[in-house]
Amino acid sequence: MAAATTVKIVFGSGVPLVDFVHETTEKLAALAGCDEEESLNAAIAVREAVINAVAHGNKKDPARRVEVHFKVRPGKVEVRVRDEGEGFDPASTPDPTAGDNRLKTTGRGLLLIRAFVDDVAFRYREGRGMELALVKRHRGRKPAALTHAASA
Amino acid sequence: MKTTVRTVGQVSVVDLSGKITIGEGDVILRDKVQELLDGGHRKVLLNLEKVSYMDSAGIGELVAVFKRAREKGGTVKLLRPSGKVEDLLQLTKLWEVFEIFNEEAPAVGSF
Repeated sequence: MAAATTVKIVFGSGVPLVDFVHETTEKLAALAGCDEEESLNAAIAVREAVINAVAHGNKKDPARRVEVHFKVRPGKVEVRVRDEGEGFDPASTPDPTAGDNRLKTTGRGLLLIRAFVDDVAFRYREGRGMELALVKRHRGRKPAALTHAASA
Repeated sequence: MKTTVRTVGQVSVVDLSGKITIGEGDVILRDKVQELLDGGHRKVLLNLEKVSYMDSAGIGELVAVFKRAREKGGTVKLLRPSGKVEDLLQLTKLWEVFEIFNEEAPAVGSF
């Protein structure tokens, strides 16, 4: 069995590399065998995780790092996004689709992350920051969160 | 992201192309709509036909311009979102907040 492909991107908290991480995710997802839409969906989720790490985890402090670790296997790409912040409770974030929350200008990152990848896991690494672990598999069909959107 | 503005009657139609994303597209959108509002234009139609993608910052800016226009007695409506943009508006339930049109003539006539 061929070894998994791993890629690591580390950068100070800022916006300029968000597009680079997005594009890298698309390419690596395609390498894993994901089709065009799956690859874009993976990139959307990782992009949001990185934006959260930069803006919320690291408070846009350029001295705090964001790490993005990719592991590519046939049919699957795993991505870990780490910040150096104080952590948060994902269960306590408000639902951005509920009532007046829809008119808030922030708070949609986790919604997009959960909608566009298959697995999401949160881990606070004591004293070292938050880690989001995302998994995207090649399935050949649209994510469930989007298939019923038209009838919602 | 690129923007051009056309006037159709009293409606400012903003043709957007590219991505509405953090740090670039979201700022361009904000500045363009603010420019229109500062110029006294109160009826704004954002043509999303050539917008390939928005991230959460872009979506947030869409909401922000909607609110800013409303505060000034104006309205922002959306035209022809498609593909991933349509998916995102559905997912975030903003499909229920904005008036969204597939054709320009009825969109312009709705103001």
